[in-house]
Amino acid sequence: MTRSRLATGLVILAAVLMLVPLLWVLALSLKDNAELMTDTASVFNGRFTLENYRNLFGNGDVFRWIANSLIVSFGMTAGVLMLASLAGYGFARLEFPGRNLLFVVVLLGLAVPEQAVIIARHQMFSWLGMHNSYPALILPGLSAPFGVFLMTQYFRAIPRDIDEAALLDGASRFTIFWKLLLPLTIPAQATLGIFTFLSAWNDYWWPLISATNKDMFTLTVGIASTQMNFAQTEGLGFLMAQAVFAGAPMLIVYLFFQKYIVQAVAGAAGR
Amino acid sequence: MAGVQLAEVGKAYGAVTVIERLSLDIPAGEFMVFLGPSGCGKSTLLRMIAGLETIDGGTIRIGERRVDTLPPGERGVAMVFQHYALYPHLSVRENMAFGLRNLRVPAAEIAARIAAAAASLEIEALLERKPGQLSGGQRQRVAIARAIVKQPELFLLDEPLSNLDAALRVRTRLELAQLHRRLGTTMIFVTHDQVEAMTLADRIVVLNAGGIEQVGTPMEIYLRPRTQFVATFVGSPRINLLPVAIEEGPAGSARARLGDGTMLDTAIRFAGLPQGAMTLGLRAETVCVTAGDDAATHGTAEVVERLGERTLVHTLLSDGSRLVAEDAGVSAVRPGDRIGLTIDAAAAHLFDATGLGHHRAETA
Repeated sequence: MTRSRLATGLVILAAVLMLVPLLWVLALSLKDNAELMTDTASVFNGRFTLENYRNLFGNGDVFRWIANSLIVSFGMTAGVLMLASLAGYGFARLEFPGRNLLFVVVLLGLAVPEQAVIIARHQMFSWLGMHNSYPALILPGLSAPFGVFLMTQYFRAIPRDIDEAALLDGASRFTIFWKLLLPLTIPAQATLGIFTFLSAWNDYWWPLISATNKDMFTLTVGIASTQMNFAQTEGLGFLMAQAVFAGAPMLIVYLFFQKYIVQAVAGAAGR
Repeated sequence: MAGVQLAEVGKAYGAVTVIERLSLDIPAGEFMVFLGPSGCGKSTLLRMIAGLETIDGGTIRIGERRVDTLPPGERGVAMVFQHYALYPHLSVRENMAFGLRNLRVPAAEIAARIAAAAASLEIEALLERKPGQLSGGQRQRVAIARAIVKQPELFLLDEPLSNLDAALRVRTRLELAQLHRRLGTTMIFVTHDQVEAMTLADRIVVLNAGGIEQVGTPMEIYLRPRTQFVATFVGSPRINLLPVAIEEGPAGSARARLGDGTMLDTAIRFAGLPQGAMTLGLRAETVCVTAGDDAATHGTAEVVERLGERTLVHTLLSDGSRLVAEDAGVSAVRPGDRIGLTIDAAAAHLFDATGLGHHRAETA
């Protein structure tokens, strides 16, 4: 009983520690910039304003950037789910020469940091004339070794009896994949989809390099481009409004899909 | 309904031979049981018939068709798996319909077949449930129903009872026997459980190390085991095996001398027996505890197992050999007691050095 209370207390403490910075950012975003310049503790004195959000939405480009972020994030998520599922099925179920070696090569991709390939990637897209396009923003993200690994492990965990029963039921390989196995991987798909979406939504570096045209900015790049000099002193409230705006979708995604995220983390630990 | 013919069928994984050039003929409508210890190749053989394993040589025919070149779905077989292999995200009804849809069976006929199979196995109330909402026994019934709706020429059952508790196993065993009688379809049932084999089979194939030890009816297997392996694998408690010396007895029969000097006149013909040491096989029910003076030999009771309807007495003979004898369900024998034993020598078996069995001449 005492241990249970102690655990509950610790969990509440951890939750508060996690929540305080978020509430602080939200509170700052609702304050006048000039007021914050004198003292950030003014957060605790009434007088809140939506001025920073009005300024943010007053910039007509924001909606264009949101649309770009949505297109890139959904496009990357759909692509990763499709490719990782097919690759995972292949590695888990199909026998072909060099399968294990190829799987190791894919996994090695996990060890290659983006920084190591960014110049080569930039030059390749430049040579192809693809910068400032959706494919340029989406395609690099489709290389998802973690996704392939996750899906491979998930497919491997599905008993082969299912495939064999389906073969005896006269099902083709594609029918088995599409109608029987893929639906069983929905928890993994949800997890991978959420992680991919969040990482695409948050991505800053590659869009910053590839999207030089304001119309092709994603939200992260676009919002950063609106920041004035000395933003952290003169425009702290506006900066925080931008942070809230950029972070809100992630929060919403997490609220709706937390079950799958927790499952994924627990599952990854268990494997 | 179709028979199955295996001709010179073999299977190896690299250097390891799993099935060695095996031939077998299963008549249409027979309930055949593949019986053997773990790793003997019985499940592999079943999977080869199903098409889930390729064969390295030979031919497989189901009915008049050669099927070893056909994919599993075109062989006209249905299989019940040890772990059920139900599709977890589909309802029971959808599980049963899946194979029929692949075969392009009209929707009305699918519905009719599902209704009939569900009624037959009393699972109508479960049709809209998912497998995860069913108990082990219910899942097994659904797996059987899924096989039935396909109206296959051949049923393959891979240890389907091994995941059920003891009571449910007995009930399902009975239902399988009734199902076979009702459908009349050829069934091949794989098990390592001799009781399942003995109670269900029309004939049993005893497998060992990838080869057939014996094919026969349950009583043939029990009463006339072709090899020492079959004799020891079938029967509970295990058959008593005692080293003996053989000489010619009265009327040309073989007389066996046990290690403690006991002489037993068997009903096995002496002529034709190989020279040298042999092993005597005695089922426990042919060795009985006696309080009278008709004892063939004596020993000391070591362990007494009271099973209710009979008592098994593990006995140490004077030469240090051991055997299991039977006594009545209510037995006064206690560990450490000196006991007399009668032996029905006419029911004895002899096994030569190669393990080949020799039995009494068959009576007409």
